[in-house]
Amino acid sequence: MQLFSKTDIDFISYRKIAYGISLVLVIAGVVSLLFRGLNYGIDFKGGTEVVLRFEQEIAVGDVRQVLRDAGVSGSIKSYGTERSILVQTDFEGDVNQLRTLVSNALNDRFSENPHELLRIDAVGPSIASDLKWAALKALLGAVIAILLYVGIRFEFRFAAASIVAIFHDVFIVLGIFSLLGGVFDVMPLDINQSIIAAFLTIAGYSINDTVVVYDRIRENIRSQKSGDYPKIFNTSLNQTLSRTIITSGTTFLTVLVLFIFAGPAIRGFSFAILIGIVVGTYSSIFIAAPVVLDWQLRSKKPIRLRGSS
Amino acid sequence: MKNKRFTAFLIVALTALALWSLWPTYQEYSYNKQLSRFSSSEDSLAFVQEHRESLDNARAKSLKLGLDLKGGMYLVLEVDLIDLLDQRAWNKDEQFRDILATVKERASDSGARIIDLLAGEFSRQGIRLSRYFYDVRDTDEEVIAKLRDEAEEALSRAREIIRNRVDQYGVAEPQIQVQGARRIIVALPGVSDQERIRKLLRGTAKLEFKLVRDREAMLAGLERINAALEEDVESGSEAGEDTVDVLANPLFEHMTVMENGRVYVPQYSRDYLLSLFQRDDIARLLPKDTEFRMSARTIEGQDGTQFHDLYLLKKTPELTGNVITEAKATFGASAMQPEVTMKMNAEGTSKWARITGANIGRQIAIVLDGAVYSAPVVESKIPGGSSVINGIESLEEAQDLEIVLKAGALPAPVRIIEERTVGPSLGSDYIRSGLLSAGWGLFIVAVFMIFYYRKAGISADLALVLNILFVLSVLAGFGAALTLPGIAGLVLTIGMAVDANVLIFERIREEIGQKKNLRTAVETGYSKAFSAIIDSQITTLGAGFLLYVYGIGPIQGFAVTLMIGTAASLFTALVVTKEIFDLLISKNLLTERSFG
Repeated sequence: MQLFSKTDIDFISYRKIAYGISLVLVIAGVVSLLFRGLNYGIDFKGGTEVVLRFEQEIAVGDVRQVLRDAGVSGSIKSYGTERSILVQTDFEGDVNQLRTLVSNALNDRFSENPHELLRIDAVGPSIASDLKWAALKALLGAVIAILLYVGIRFEFRFAAASIVAIFHDVFIVLGIFSLLGGVFDVMPLDINQSIIAAFLTIAGYSINDTVVVYDRIRENIRSQKSGDYPKIFNTSLNQTLSRTIITSGTTFLTVLVLFIFAGPAIRGFSFAILIGIVVGTYSSIFIAAPVVLDWQLRSKKPIRLRGSS
Repeated sequence: MKNKRFTAFLIVALTALALWSLWPTYQEYSYNKQLSRFSSSEDSLAFVQEHRESLDNARAKSLKLGLDLKGGMYLVLEVDLIDLLDQRAWNKDEQFRDILATVKERASDSGARIIDLLAGEFSRQGIRLSRYFYDVRDTDEEVIAKLRDEAEEALSRAREIIRNRVDQYGVAEPQIQVQGARRIIVALPGVSDQERIRKLLRGTAKLEFKLVRDREAMLAGLERINAALEEDVESGSEAGEDTVDVLANPLFEHMTVMENGRVYVPQYSRDYLLSLFQRDDIARLLPKDTEFRMSARTIEGQDGTQFHDLYLLKKTPELTGNVITEAKATFGASAMQPEVTMKMNAEGTSKWARITGANIGRQIAIVLDGAVYSAPVVESKIPGGSSVINGIESLEEAQDLEIVLKAGALPAPVRIIEERTVGPSLGSDYIRSGLLSAGWGLFIVAVFMIFYYRKAGISADLALVLNILFVLSVLAGFGAALTLPGIAGLVLTIGMAVDANVLIFERIREEIGQKKNLRTAVETGYSKAFSAIIDSQITTLGAGFLLYVYGIGPIQGFAVTLMIGTAASLFTALVVTKEIFDLLISKNLLTERSFG
């Protein structure tokens, strides 16, 4: 079977439209980041998180009322299923006190529907701020490492364009997290440690797709020597299209499985990667290589590639 | 041809190695299955005894599950190095305390080294460190180096002591490691009594024997503090303290003084008074070298309020816990109260004999982590080096005291700054949903590959299965734990691992499309796809590596499986599938049509 046999799509001439779409998406994301901000999980703002599960279905509103009366502040919402509740509070004291407070209040009121404390996480403020630094360092480290690696294997312009593509992907996904954060109860889209992992994975995935296209461009530049860059870039994009779509497709499918089956704990994570795969695939075709081409056309310097093919 | 044979041998050998490394996991699984079939506990006990050795062996070498899958506690402890600095400093004054307070504040929201923050603050204020630390002739660099050594030493000693405590408490496969310059990570799978663990880890276990000052001195001290507070209230300088605003007796409102001179503090006032007594201007009102301490245990008043006993103690301890060689939790002879008996070393024994001999008829308080456990009156000289802690609530508490006393005192207090608890039922939910995702992910990708690439797809699927086998066996072989994010990494790897094969197969299709013969098409396909594969896999490996370095705990699990999976896919997708194709071509089982 073959889905994309011998395509001849003129990607390069569509690039200005693609830039426009991307620009709108990124700006929408940035605006939302500025005005709506992100929902930070306890990993990044400190606090305590308790996940409860009742034996039978229960209305969140009732639980919220009971816990409010008992003096538990913070947000109380359902978590994944009709029986699970997530309590997020900035409670800073003894975890044990909170545990007894919650347990006693709920046992008193819902004695016919016993509950179980599935998980309690408490993160102090200093840990939270360290995590923020570690996350920033990791993202920065990824950018530098990619600049170096792609710069050495290809050329500086290729490296810079791939960074543009990565920022494009990360900002669009961040923007979606900001826009949709807290909108769906089943998927709160809090920014926590695993989301940082998702962003690095997206960066790695985006560069992975991009590099395959670059590799083909390099090969074609060497074999053709014509200097008709728009044509070479377009041929390379078409030649790798099948692979790009298929690999993205298989990865998308597996992550979709994760999203559906793996439960609320990594739903936000798999959602980030799902969006990241779509955006990353798009950017490796419409952003990364076209940016290199535009840069080249403007500077008029011939592309001199390093590395072996 | 010889080279070919070597590749085939390598594949077989690696597969065998992987299976061998996963064998104990299978063994444990089948034992557990057999165990769950027994209806009576005698049968299963007999079975366990019969197979003890192989069962233990299988458990030790099988694939470990992370805390999130198994349930348990994950804690991050911070060693209070500020306290250590405070202990080490000489002639402390107001300025020193100000600097420490600044350092403490700045340390609370950053992971920077305390010593660096301290040195920075000193140089900002233009003071030499040697004014407070070590020898006055030391240069700043020397002091910093010494302090840094001491901080490192304190951290590693704290880790050892915590390990001792955990070992004696009895947790299977605990993980205790130092993180950064002042943190210790403690992972305790399967523990259920969280409050007990918290107490066990948090206590400094600093044991001190201190002389109790007479009641008159204590009451006089309290009078002076009360008077000073009254003055504060009148002059209005105490605006922040709303608790003492309008009271006539600002201090005595918080305590009950009995006829016999004993002073009781209600539980709700404990924290306020403890912080009040810490204040410099208050401590100055007490006789030299004395301090207030409260009893660990409370007694119930008539209206049900819990009261602590208040003591005025000589600040310098007569003896400290480092002379203790043995501790044992037992029940006391009278009244069957739980207590802990202690034995001292030779030095401690002779000192203890001298101290008790010199203070017959007076009270000596046994103070653990600042709380008075008991303050018995010395009746006679104690020559044998023995002592008893009583005033303990329960046998459990006595046993925990035994553990912390045996393990020794922490060089500085530790605080719990992060705590994650996973109940066992959540863990089994995670395992079920994780396995379900992995199974579906594998199934979908495998079916797609066969559908899209026909016979070639089958070889890619074989490579994929081998890849998963390698990831699991590396995890088991190196004793790394499988976590929920780890399973997520594995599922993601399933999707990405076929990438190399997709690259190769697409290339081979192109070559076939250019009417090359099959063998040449396969060879060129592999060699031309090679550089793209290397570049793309190295970037993925790089992202995984960064995640591993900067991520903590659960995220590292994700990074590890992603890295192993990517590295293994280089072997399985490049070497294994090539070997299969070569075999098929030589047997004329592969045609141009086999690539779909």
